[in-house]
Amino acid sequence: MIRTIVGLAIVLILMAILITVVDDYTVPSALSGVGESYTETGVEDTGSVNLVTAVVVAYRGLDTLGEVVVLFSASTAVVLILTLIPIGSGPTPPSSIVSFTAGILPSAIILFGIYIITHGHLSPGGGFPGGAVVASAFLLVMLGSNTVPGKSKFLSSIESLAGLTFGLLGFWGMFAAGQFLNNLVLPAGSPGRIISAGIIPLISLAIGAKVASELSGIFSSYRKAGGEK
Amino acid sequence: MSLFAAASIGTGVMMIVAAVAALIVKKLISAIIIVGFVSLSASLLFLLMDAPDVAITEASIGAAISTVIFLWGRGKIGGEQ
Repeated sequence: MIRTIVGLAIVLILMAILITVVDDYTVPSALSGVGESYTETGVEDTGSVNLVTAVVVAYRGLDTLGEVVVLFSASTAVVLILTLIPIGSGPTPPSSIVSFTAGILPSAIILFGIYIITHGHLSPGGGFPGGAVVASAFLLVMLGSNTVPGKSKFLSSIESLAGLTFGLLGFWGMFAAGQFLNNLVLPAGSPGRIISAGIIPLISLAIGAKVASELSGIFSSYRKAGGEK
Repeated sequence: MSLFAAASIGTGVMMIVAAVAALIVKKLISAIIIVGFVSLSASLLFLLMDAPDVAITEASIGAAISTVIFLWGRGKIGGEQ
């Protein structure tokens, strides 16, 4: 009873806040100052045709580094908890539909994920979405198999290497151009080509590898927790 | 009303209905699947609002990965509670 009343009160308060905010909102007719300068000089500045990736990786590269650190600590915590406190039982055998799908679909999904990662500066996508897509292919593989994944040195080496690459690229910008994560330590090239946009493709690759290996690490520790059945 | 506006509003209404349904269904597994459906609709909505990169992330993380994580978590706590 009390739970219902408290829940209802919270919903009503949130609704009141939402209505006030929506009431005050007017659709902006022009871009804000920063947005305008990004859209005007973004392609020249970074060589990246996809301005979203230009903002995420080049202009706000430090924030992305922070996001990668957040994901890293989250995955470390999940793996730690699931290793220290094994709960529940191991994997249950998949149905024949799942195991058949898991046999044919993952290669296509991985290819699509790699496409998203490597074309981050040309078309929608980039390191984070592409890495998540690749990880979901690994998830499908795990769903389709009956066995508990073993301890993988390979996965954690990829993860560490990708994180190290991101940091080193940042320091390269600092020493070569006097700015951490400076984009144009490599030539910008001609916008629209696959090898262009300075270090954006390299950082996308690093982020993609890191996100994919970290999420796969989370899955495999979930799968392992509780031991073999 | 343009087709885009109609599709966006339709998807939004569908999301709200599904979100409420996720709260009131009795079985945990149904609620998890419905939450996955809400994520998939959200990714459709992002696509309609010209944010394809957010749509890709939402579809893979929200609809696929977190649904499976929830399902595994349900298995770990021992099914229906």
